[in-house]
Amino acid sequence: MAPKNIDRRTALARWKGRLIGNPISSRADVHHRLPKKVALPVFASDAISSTAYATEEILIVFLSLAGAGVAAYTRLVPISLLVVVLLAIVVSSYRQTIYAYPNGGGSYVVSKENLGKHPSLIAGGSLLVDYVLTVAVSVSGGVAAIVSAFNGLAPYRVHLCIFFVVVMTYANLRGLKESGTLFAPPTYLYVGALGLLITVGLYRVYFQDLPPIPHNGEARELLDATGALTTFYFLKAFASGAVALTGVEAVSNGVPAFKPPESRNASRTLIMMAVILGGAFFGLSVLAQHLEPVKDEEGIIRDTVLAQMAEHVYGGRNALFFITQFATFGILILAANTAYADFPRLTSIISKDNFLPRQFANRGDRLVFSNGIILLAVAAIGLIVAFGGLVNALIPLYAVGVFTGFTLSQAGMCVHHTRHREKGWKFHFVINAIGAATTFFVAGIVIVVKFTDGAWIPVVVIPSLIFVFTGINRHYSRVKNFLQVAEQEVPPFRTHFVIVLVGSLNAGVVQAIKYAQSLRPDRLMALSVVASSEDGAELNRKWRASFPDVELDTPVDEYRNLTDMVLMEIERLDGLQPDDLITVVIPEFVTSIRSQWLHNQSALAIKARLLFRPNTVVTSVPIVIP
Amino acid sequence: MGLRDFFTRDSLSKEELVAERLCERFEDLNMLSLADMPLRQRVDVCGEIRRMSVKPRAGIPAVEVEISDGTGELTLVFYGRGHVPGIGHHRALTVSGVAFREGSRRVMLNPAYRLLPREGQ
Repeated sequence: MAPKNIDRRTALARWKGRLIGNPISSRADVHHRLPKKVALPVFASDAISSTAYATEEILIVFLSLAGAGVAAYTRLVPISLLVVVLLAIVVSSYRQTIYAYPNGGGSYVVSKENLGKHPSLIAGGSLLVDYVLTVAVSVSGGVAAIVSAFNGLAPYRVHLCIFFVVVMTYANLRGLKESGTLFAPPTYLYVGALGLLITVGLYRVYFQDLPPIPHNGEARELLDATGALTTFYFLKAFASGAVALTGVEAVSNGVPAFKPPESRNASRTLIMMAVILGGAFFGLSVLAQHLEPVKDEEGIIRDTVLAQMAEHVYGGRNALFFITQFATFGILILAANTAYADFPRLTSIISKDNFLPRQFANRGDRLVFSNGIILLAVAAIGLIVAFGGLVNALIPLYAVGVFTGFTLSQAGMCVHHTRHREKGWKFHFVINAIGAATTFFVAGIVIVVKFTDGAWIPVVVIPSLIFVFTGINRHYSRVKNFLQVAEQEVPPFRTHFVIVLVGSLNAGVVQAIKYAQSLRPDRLMALSVVASSEDGAELNRKWRASFPDVELDTPVDEYRNLTDMVLMEIERLDGLQPDDLITVVIPEFVTSIRSQWLHNQSALAIKARLLFRPNTVVTSVPIVIP
Repeated sequence: MGLRDFFTRDSLSKEELVAERLCERFEDLNMLSLADMPLRQRVDVCGEIRRMSVKPRAGIPAVEVEISDGTGELTLVFYGRGHVPGIGHHRALTVSGVAFREGSRRVMLNPAYRLLPREGQ
């Protein structure tokens, strides 16, 4: 065992250590390769989890917004088919990306390499917005599943959401490996539960003539409405259903995590995911068509569509019902957790390209990008609070970023094909072109039909993010240019001027003067701002006795403003010589942290002001009083 | 003073306040102001001591004093002494001598001076 060393950490660091665990060495950063059956839950939980709310969102548009009544259920399956076709197009597009970018090709990387700076920033901005929404939507969805099981919790919806976000943030700050042991059970449980629900449900509908869910009250009113189903609402419902596609891109981001052959395994996993996602979504829609669950816009009907159907199919709130609800909750929390892995990774990539503050590229004690995690949590909590933790209020914001990302990624792939011209590139080009065109079209639909519902928010936020990115980048490149080491550069200063700030003559000042003399300046002077003639006379007298050969300058100030006066004096003295370097030496008393505040903090104020002065070095000579 | 004056009136900086006070103090003496003082001629001027510094020049002590009458500054140098009786912060005095320019400041060497009474005396 290693001998015990003295713990030199501060109390704060010790608390942090207790809270988030011991620091992890950078050497521990090895990537585990995942087999397909583990990779599927890790990368697909986000995509598959959207089945928990996609059908419901379509129904809300028809029932609550359009007021279509029972007619809504006839349109559910056609829309689901459209979404499944869209899914097929997007997935076949992403298969190309997987083969072309075996090192992982997120939208940001692909569009950066193929389309240039601005498209990649749009992709980056939409992805960031997207990840925040993934957390907000998934956690809200998960809490909705819990609330459906335990109706009494409905008033605490927002509190519960925030609680889970905080728990997840904490877990991720500690460092959460994307391990199969954690991800696999909830994902497979959810897939199993959905499969069982759809099979049993359809069996009972077709062979046991299970009637639709009986409704009353609010729900009955919604069903009795007879509004017209216009194309506008049809498109709106389609736009809502399209959120089922969120998270499809996760596999293509994580190709390097697969066991070799990476691309082949990733591609198979993608197909598997698409089959599960498409099948479950379509199956749920067919089941909903027969069972006629009802959901309104404002969340007055608390049970989710999934919960209503599970209750009806299993004949009450029994074990199977609760298993379904908890599996739904589990996979939605996992889906939110994937954003916790992806968002900080993306911010670190963007900040390495100098478009985000450098701090996002720093890893914390536990080898995670702590700053990114915290930013994500804060943004997600903000969204949840602003929208009351209601999934359907957040959905219009969600789809815009997703489809912008898809479009840019596919367009980037088109450019990639025309540049590289590998075997069969024309065919691949066509696939990606179709993908790009379709997703672009869908993004357009979503923006247009849901603009007033909230789609305007990403439309405003994403461009402003790009302004922020480019502004940060401009700053970093300016700094970089300024700091470039030129050939044979002459130092910008020739003389060295040292000023020692003196309050009164004491041990600290003696030390500071000695230190200043050791710098061997061209000119050394002590500066003391005096308030009255008595003070000045006394200081002058003492000074002559202690330091007969050191210059003491004593300007007088009747306005008691030390900091400004010192600054003005330094300005004046600096003006005497055109190219000098000024060192300001400040004797400073340092006591323990408990009593430091008892001392006048003028040294701190002066230091803070001098920090921004060019050609000025500030040195404090500490006198440590134990 | 109306409300409008209250908002439009500029607040004075501390330097301006000091200059105003000094101008008032020396108004009655009717002497040459430091702003109008010519160089390389014998002049009589007055001012209040705003800054003192004791600096050894080649081992010989010298007292440097900056006076101001609100319109400008002048540095007086008293060679060969570490302490000049009566010279201290806030004292006002009239000096007579020849000023010259040294760098960015105007300097008078070993001038004849007469201390003015302290304020309130």
